[in-house]
Amino acid sequence: MDTEARLRAALRAAAAPARDPGFALAVIRAAEAGRYKKEAARSVLRAGGVAAAAAALAALGLDWAAGNPAAFQNGVLSAAGLISLVGLARLMSARARVLLKR
Amino acid sequence: MTPHDEARLIAAARKGDSRAYAALVDAHQQAVRGFLRRFNGVWADADDIAQEAFVTAWAKLNRFEGRSSFRSWVSGIGFRLARDARRARGRAGARDAAWLQTQEVAENEASIEDRIALERAMAELPDEQRAAVALCLGEGFSHAEAAAILKLPLGTVKSHVTRGREKLLRALETSDGH
Repeated sequence: MDTEARLRAALRAAAAPARDPGFALAVIRAAEAGRYKKEAARSVLRAGGVAAAAAALAALGLDWAAGNPAAFQNGVLSAAGLISLVGLARLMSARARVLLKR
Repeated sequence: MTPHDEARLIAAARKGDSRAYAALVDAHQQAVRGFLRRFNGVWADADDIAQEAFVTAWAKLNRFEGRSSFRSWVSGIGFRLARDARRARGRAGARDAAWLQTQEVAENEASIEDRIALERAMAELPDEQRAAVALCLGEGFSHAEAAAILKLPLGTVKSHVTRGREKLLRALETSDGH
C-alpha cells in the first residue's frame, strides 16, 4: 500500500464515530436542562426586582407617613372606604345576577 | 435527508419541537463528532463539545440564515468551542493515544502504527490547518464548506489542506522508516 493509500485508510479509520442513538437524547436533555436553569434564574431575578421595588415603595411610604400623620390617617381611611365601596358593589352585583337568573 | 426535509425540521425545531431537533442531531451527529474528534484528538472531550455545539445551535437557531448547510453551521460552532477549549487546556493535553484502544472501526483497515503516526502528526498541525484537514480529508466537506465553517478565505483553506496533507504524508513516510 503506498503512502497516499495509507493516509486515506488512517484518516478513514481514526475518529470515525458510530451513529449513537443516545447522543441526540443527551443533546435534547442538556438543552432542556439549560432552558430550565435560565428560566429559574430569570424568575429569581424577577421576584427579586419586584421585592426590591415593593420594599423601596414601602420605605418611601413609611417615611412620608411619619412626616404627615394626619394625611396618612386620611389616606388610610379613604382607602378603607374605597375598598368597602368596591366590595359592596361587587356583592350587590352578584346578588342582582342571581335574582335576574331566577 | 433532503434539503426540503432539513428545512422542515429546522422550521419545527425553531418552534421548540424537540423531536424535530433530535432528528436533525441524529442526521448530522456523525459528521460533526468525526470532525471534532479529528480536530481535538481527545474523543470524550470532542463528543462533549459536539453536544455543546448542538445545544448552542438550537438556542441560536433563529439566527441560522440557511446560507450554509445546517451541518456546516453546527460544525462551525463546534470548531470555535473546540478551539477555545484547546487554548484553555494547552496543546500538551491534546495528545492522547488511548483512543486507539477503543477503535470503533475495522482493525485491519489501517495499521495501528499509521493511526498513531497520523494522530501525532495531526496534533502538530496548527489549529486552522488541522481543522481544514479534518473537514476536507476526514469528513469529506468541500473546500467552500470548510471556508464557511472556519470563516477563512477559500484560497487559505485550499492551501491549509494541501500543506497539511503533505505533512501527514511525510509523517507516515517517516514512521515507515522506523
